[in-house]
Amino acid sequence: MNDGPLIVQSDKTLLLEVDHPLARDCRAAIAPFAELERSPEHVHTYRVTPLALWNARAAGHDAEQVVDALVRYSRYPVPHALLVDVADTMDRFGRLTLVNNPVHGLVLNSSDRAVLEEVIRSKRVAPMLGARIDADTVVVHPSERGRLKQALLKIGWPAEDLAGYVDGQAHPIELDQSGWHLRDYQQEAVDGFWAGGSGVVVLPCGAGKTLVGAAAMAEAKATTLILVTNTVAGRQWKRELIARTSLTEDEIGEYSGERKEIRPVTIATYQVITTRRKGEYRHLDLFDAQDWGLIVYDEVHLLPAPIFRLTADLQSRRRLGLTATLVREDGREDDVFSLIGPKRYDAPWRDIEAQGYIAPAECIEVRVALDDEERMTYAVAEPEERYRIAATASSKLPVIRRVLDRHPEEQKLVIGAYLDQLEELGTALDAPVIQGSTTNKERERLFDQFRSGELRTLVVSKVANFSIDLPEAAVAVQVSGTFGSRQEEAQRLGRVLRPKADGRQAHFYTVVSRDTLDSEYAAHRQRFLAEQGYAYTIVDAADLAGPGEVNGPDWVDEPAD
Amino acid sequence: MDRMSGDRPATLAAWLRTRSDEQLSALLVARPDVARPAPSDVVALASRLAVPVSVDRALDELDAATLQVLDVVLLADTDGVPAADLPAALPEVPDEMLGAAVDRLTTRALLWGDELLHAPDPVRRSVRYPAGLGRRAVELRLTLPADVPAAIGELPTEEREVLERLAGDRPVGHLPDTNGSGSSPARRLLQRGLLARIDALNVELPREIGLLLRGDRPFGPPRLRPEPAVVQRDPATVDRRAAGAAMEAIGRVGELLVLLEEEPAGLLRSGGIGVRDQKRLARALHVSEPEAGWLLELAHLAGLLDVGGPHRDEWLPSRAFDLWREQDLPARWATLAGGWLDSVRLPSLAGQRDVSGKAVNALSPDLVRHTAPAIRRSALAALAEYPAGAGLAPDDLVALLRWRTPRRADRLAPVPGLLAEAARLGVVVEGVLSTGGRGLLATGEDGAADGMRGLLPDPVDHVLAQPDLSLVAPGPLVAELADTLAVVADIESSGGATVFRVSEASVRRALDSGWSATDLHDFFARASRTPVPQALDYLIDDVARQHGRLRVGAIESYVRSDDHGLLSQVLGDRRTAAAELRRLAPGVLISGLGADEVLTVLREAGYAPAGESPGGAVLTRPPARPRAAARRPGAAPPPAARPLGGDELAATVREIRAGDAALAARRGEAVRQIPGVTTAGTLELLSRAVREGVPVWLGYVDAQGSGSQRVVQPVSLAGGFLQGYDERRGEHRTFAVHRITSVALVEEGDPAAS
Repeated sequence: MNDGPLIVQSDKTLLLEVDHPLARDCRAAIAPFAELERSPEHVHTYRVTPLALWNARAAGHDAEQVVDALVRYSRYPVPHALLVDVADTMDRFGRLTLVNNPVHGLVLNSSDRAVLEEVIRSKRVAPMLGARIDADTVVVHPSERGRLKQALLKIGWPAEDLAGYVDGQAHPIELDQSGWHLRDYQQEAVDGFWAGGSGVVVLPCGAGKTLVGAAAMAEAKATTLILVTNTVAGRQWKRELIARTSLTEDEIGEYSGERKEIRPVTIATYQVITTRRKGEYRHLDLFDAQDWGLIVYDEVHLLPAPIFRLTADLQSRRRLGLTATLVREDGREDDVFSLIGPKRYDAPWRDIEAQGYIAPAECIEVRVALDDEERMTYAVAEPEERYRIAATASSKLPVIRRVLDRHPEEQKLVIGAYLDQLEELGTALDAPVIQGSTTNKERERLFDQFRSGELRTLVVSKVANFSIDLPEAAVAVQVSGTFGSRQEEAQRLGRVLRPKADGRQAHFYTVVSRDTLDSEYAAHRQRFLAEQGYAYTIVDAADLAGPGEVNGPDWVDEPAD
Repeated sequence: MDRMSGDRPATLAAWLRTRSDEQLSALLVARPDVARPAPSDVVALASRLAVPVSVDRALDELDAATLQVLDVVLLADTDGVPAADLPAALPEVPDEMLGAAVDRLTTRALLWGDELLHAPDPVRRSVRYPAGLGRRAVELRLTLPADVPAAIGELPTEEREVLERLAGDRPVGHLPDTNGSGSSPARRLLQRGLLARIDALNVELPREIGLLLRGDRPFGPPRLRPEPAVVQRDPATVDRRAAGAAMEAIGRVGELLVLLEEEPAGLLRSGGIGVRDQKRLARALHVSEPEAGWLLELAHLAGLLDVGGPHRDEWLPSRAFDLWREQDLPARWATLAGGWLDSVRLPSLAGQRDVSGKAVNALSPDLVRHTAPAIRRSALAALAEYPAGAGLAPDDLVALLRWRTPRRADRLAPVPGLLAEAARLGVVVEGVLSTGGRGLLATGEDGAADGMRGLLPDPVDHVLAQPDLSLVAPGPLVAELADTLAVVADIESSGGATVFRVSEASVRRALDSGWSATDLHDFFARASRTPVPQALDYLIDDVARQHGRLRVGAIESYVRSDDHGLLSQVLGDRRTAAAELRRLAPGVLISGLGADEVLTVLREAGYAPAGESPGGAVLTRPPARPRAAARRPGAAPPPAARPLGGDELAATVREIRAGDAALAARRGEAVRQIPGVTTAGTLELLSRAVREGVPVWLGYVDAQGSGSQRVVQPVSLAGGFLQGYDERRGEHRTFAVHRITSVALVEEGDPAAS
C-alpha cells in the first residue's frame, strides 16, 4: 500500500485529498482524463467518464499514462476491472478517423475492419455514409461531418477528426499588448486550443475569456464570426476587441436584432440566428456570408440546440468554445464534444483566485424569518406559487437594506428573478432597475454610470445571468432565482469575481426566507458553491452585524498564529 | 524370483507378485480405490484392478502423452509389445518421455510385464478408440474393397476430406441431414464401403483406412506436453491488483447484503432469485445484472446469503454475515475465496440457456455441478506450479489441462468462466496466482487471509466532513461507525473510500430512529477529523426544529398508573428527580425526557415500569434483524478419498503379501470346520503343529467378520486360543479357535513360507 493522495472508487470517481503533499502533482496527472466534479475544502471529486477519456485521447494521452497515473497516486489497490475498462474505453477512440482523401474528399477510415462493419450497419450512421472505397474506407459527405461525429460518439466509436480546417479568408489581427499582458493561463489556453485545432476552453467567470478569444483570433489571422448570448455581451466583446487588438471599429460588425452588419469580424447573437420566420431560419446566410476562418462560441454551455445543428455544417472551420462550466442543465455535453471539440483547457476557479486574477469571494446566506401573515399566505398557497411567495416576501426588504448598508462605499448589485419584486426594491432602495425590456441604450447609460461610481446600487433581473461586465461590482445580493440552478449561480457569482483594484474581497449574499422552498433551493446553491470550494456562511438576519461591529463586513479576526 | 527361472510371469497377478513392496505401494497410492479395504492377496488385488470403474478412473487421470504410449500397446497386432519397440513406434517422442510413460502405466498396472508390455483386457475395453482410430472392419461387419489404397486414391476431394477428418482425433462422425436427397460425401463413402454405419446417425471409419491415411504416423502426431508462453508479471503488482479486486469484492458483497437486509429478495419456486430482484440490486449497486448475479452467488457460496424468513421464501443475509462484517478485511476475503473454491456451484453458468432454452437464474439449484471443486482446484493447481509472478493465459491453461486429462476434456468447459471469477475475486490476476490465491490453495482460508494481509487497508475510524455536506471516509470503515453512518447519511459512492451525504432526509431518518439534535452534533464532532462545517450544524438544527414541531409530545414521555398513590410516591421520590417528572393529570405524569430515559431512571429507582406505545400497547424490544440460517453450499467437501498414509500403505502391502504367501503356501490336507464348532481334527492338527514347531496355514475370520488367510508359527494352544507368530504380518497374535475356519500344515520346501 502506498500513501498516495488519491482514492479510486468503484463508480470511477476519484477522490483527491487536497492537503496531501502530492496533491498538486496528482491533480496535474489526472486532470487530462478526469472531470473535476466537486472541489470542496478537503477532498476533491473527479469523475472518469468515457467522454473525458476520449478527450484525453484526442489531446494525445494514451491509456498507459492514465493507468499509470491512477496506480501511482492511488492510496489503495485499484480494482483491476476498472483499469481494464479505462484501457478498453480509450482504445475505442481513434479506430475511426475522418481524413481528407486526395481523390474522394472527406472519408471515414478505419484501422479495425470489424468496427467499420459495425458502424456501417448502424441505422443511425448508415445514412451519412457514401460509397465504400475499399475495405477500410467509406466516403462521407462533407456536410455530414458534424452529424456523423455526433452519431459515432453516441454509438461509442468516437472518430478522430484529422480532416483539417480551411484557413478562411485572411485578415490581419494582432494583439495590442501595451499596458497589459496575456496571463500565463490565458496563453496556455490559446496554445492548447490552437494545437488541437478546435475545442472548448473552460475558465471561470472574470478570468478573461474574451482575451482568450481575442488571442485566438490573433493566432488565426482570419475573418472571425463570434456568437454571443445577447447584444450587451456583443458590445462588450466589441469594446474589448477594439481596446486589446489591432482591430478598429469599422472592422467589427454587429449582427443582432437591431443591426445587420457583416464585417471581417462579425459578432452575432444566438437569438438572431435562431429566429425563425415561417418555420425557416432567416439568418443562416450569415454563416456563408464570409469565408470564416474562426468561429467563437461564447458561453458554450448555453448554446441553444438549433446552433448545434448549424454548427454541424461548419466542421471544416476552426471552432473555439468559451465557457465557465461544461455542466449543461440539458446534459448535452457530448454534443459540445463532438461538434465544437474536446475540452482543450481547464483551470479550477480556486487556482486562478490564488494567482490573484479573480477576486476572493465570501458567500453568505442570510436567513429571514417570515412574519405571521406571510407564513399563513405561504402555507395556504398553491404549490406552484409557493416559491414565488417565499422568494418575494417583503420581510426581505429591511434585510436587503441592512446588507447594502454594510457596504456603503462599494458597488452593489441586487439580483432577482421576479420583476414586480425588483420594481418594488428599486423604489424602496432608490436604485434604477435593469430588466429585459430596458433598451440597450438605457442599459449602456446605466452601466456607464455604475462603472464610473455615480451609481452605487443597481437592481438587475435575469439579464445579469449573461455577459455583462461590471468591473467594480464588489457586492452582489441575490433575492430570488431560478429554482436553485447551478448555472445561474455560477454566472451570478461571476459578476463579483472580477478582481478589484485594491484586491478587496467580494461578497456574495443570498437572502433566503427560512423554512420555505426558498431555503430548500438555497441548499442546492449552497452545495454548488461549497463544491466549488467557496466558504459558505449562514447568518440569521438578526445576527447580521453592520460595518464596524464585531463580525461585520470589515471585521478582521485576530490572526490565529 | 521367477526371473531366475527365465520365464516371464504369465498373468497380471503373477506379475504383481514380482513387484517390490515399494512398487506395490506406488500402485496403491496411484489407484487408492483398490486399496480399501485391504485386498486379502494379490489375486484379489488383480481382480479389483480389473473393475471397469477403477480402470476408467485411472485412465482419466493420465495425460495425453502417456495415453499415446498405451495406444501403441493397444494397437499392436500381438498381445505384448516389447518395451524396446516403443521408440520405433513413436519416433518423435524422446526416449526418456517414453520411459516415464511406461513407468506411469506399469505403476498403475494399466500395462503389465517388464520387457514385454501387456494390456489387461479391462483397459482394452475402456479405451474405445485407441489413438483416435476406429474398430477393425471385421468388427464393424464391413467388407472393405479389395484394393483400399486404390479406392481411396480415386476419391473426389470432398469425400477424401471427410475421410481425413475422421482419421484425426475421432473416428466417429455425424451423418449430415440431407433432407432425403440421399447424397452427401459421407453417404457416398458408405455406399463405397469405406465407412461403416454404427447407428441411424453415426458412421465410423474402419481402423485400416485410418491407418492408411495416417501413413507413417499411425498413432497421430506426438502428444507432447504443450509449452505455452509463460505470462510474467511483477509479483508485487499482481498482489496489489489482487488486493484491488479483493476490496471490490468485499465491498460489493457487503453492500449487496445490506440491501437485502433492507428488502429481501423473493425465492423463486424453481429456486434462485427473480430477474426483477436482480435488476433492482444491480441498479442500486450501479453494476450490470450479470455482475449482480455473480455477487449474489459469491455471497451465497460464502454462506452469507441464504433462504430464510418466516415462510422460508426470501433470500436473506445469514447470521454468518453479522460475524463476517466484524472481521478484518483479509479474513472477510478469505471467507469469500474459500467459499468459492470449495463450492459445487458454478456461478458462471447463470444466465446461460438450458436445454429447454430457459435462462438459468442466479442462486438457482441448476448451477450445481459436483465436479466444480475438482475443476477449480486442478486449474489453480496448474497455475500454482509456476513460480510467483508467472502464470498462463486462460486459453493456454485450458490447452494444458486438456493435455493433462484428455479423457476429461469435456469437463473443462467452465474453466474460462471460473478463471474470470478468480480474477474478480483477486485469486488470479491476468493468469497469475496472487499470494492470497496461493495461500488459499495451499492451506485454505488461513493461508488466503495471510496472503492478503498487509495488502488490504486497515479500517479507519473517522470521516472528513466537508462544507458541501459530504462525509468522506478515506478507507474501509470500522463496522460500528459504518452502521451509524448508514443511519445518519446516505452512501453516494463506494470503493476504497466511502462518500456519504448528509441530507435533510437522512437527518430526519436519524431523528426518527431516536437521535436527538445534540446527539447528531456530538456524533459528527467526534467522527469527523475536520471541523464540522457550519452548514451541517444548520442543517441538523433546521431539520430538528421541524421534526420537533411535527411530533408534539412524542419526544416527551408519560408515566401513567391507575394507582394514583403510587404516582404520587414516584413524583415525591428523590431518586426519580433525574426523570424530571411533572404531574399532567391525576394518574398521568409527564417528562421532558425520552421514555427510555425515564424508564431507566424509574428502574434504577427500584420501580418496575413497562414501556407503552401511544396506542397503549406494551412496547417490546425492536425485533432482531432478519437472518437466514445458512450452511455453505459445498463447504462440506465430498467424502473424497482420504490419502493413504505411510503406515496404512505399509500395512496394506504387508497384508497383501501375507495373504499371498498364505495362498501360495503348499499345504497338506486341510481340516475344515464350521465356525463355532471346534472339531477334534482342527485341535489335533493344531496341537501337533505346536508340538512339532511346524507353521500352519490358517483360514481365519476376525471379530469384524472379514476373512483372511495366514501362515502362523504356533506357540501355544490353551483355553480355546491359539497363540502364534504371523511372520508375514510380523506380529504375535492370539487366535480364537472357534474363528478358525480351516487349518493345514505347511509343508517343508514351500518357497512362500521360506
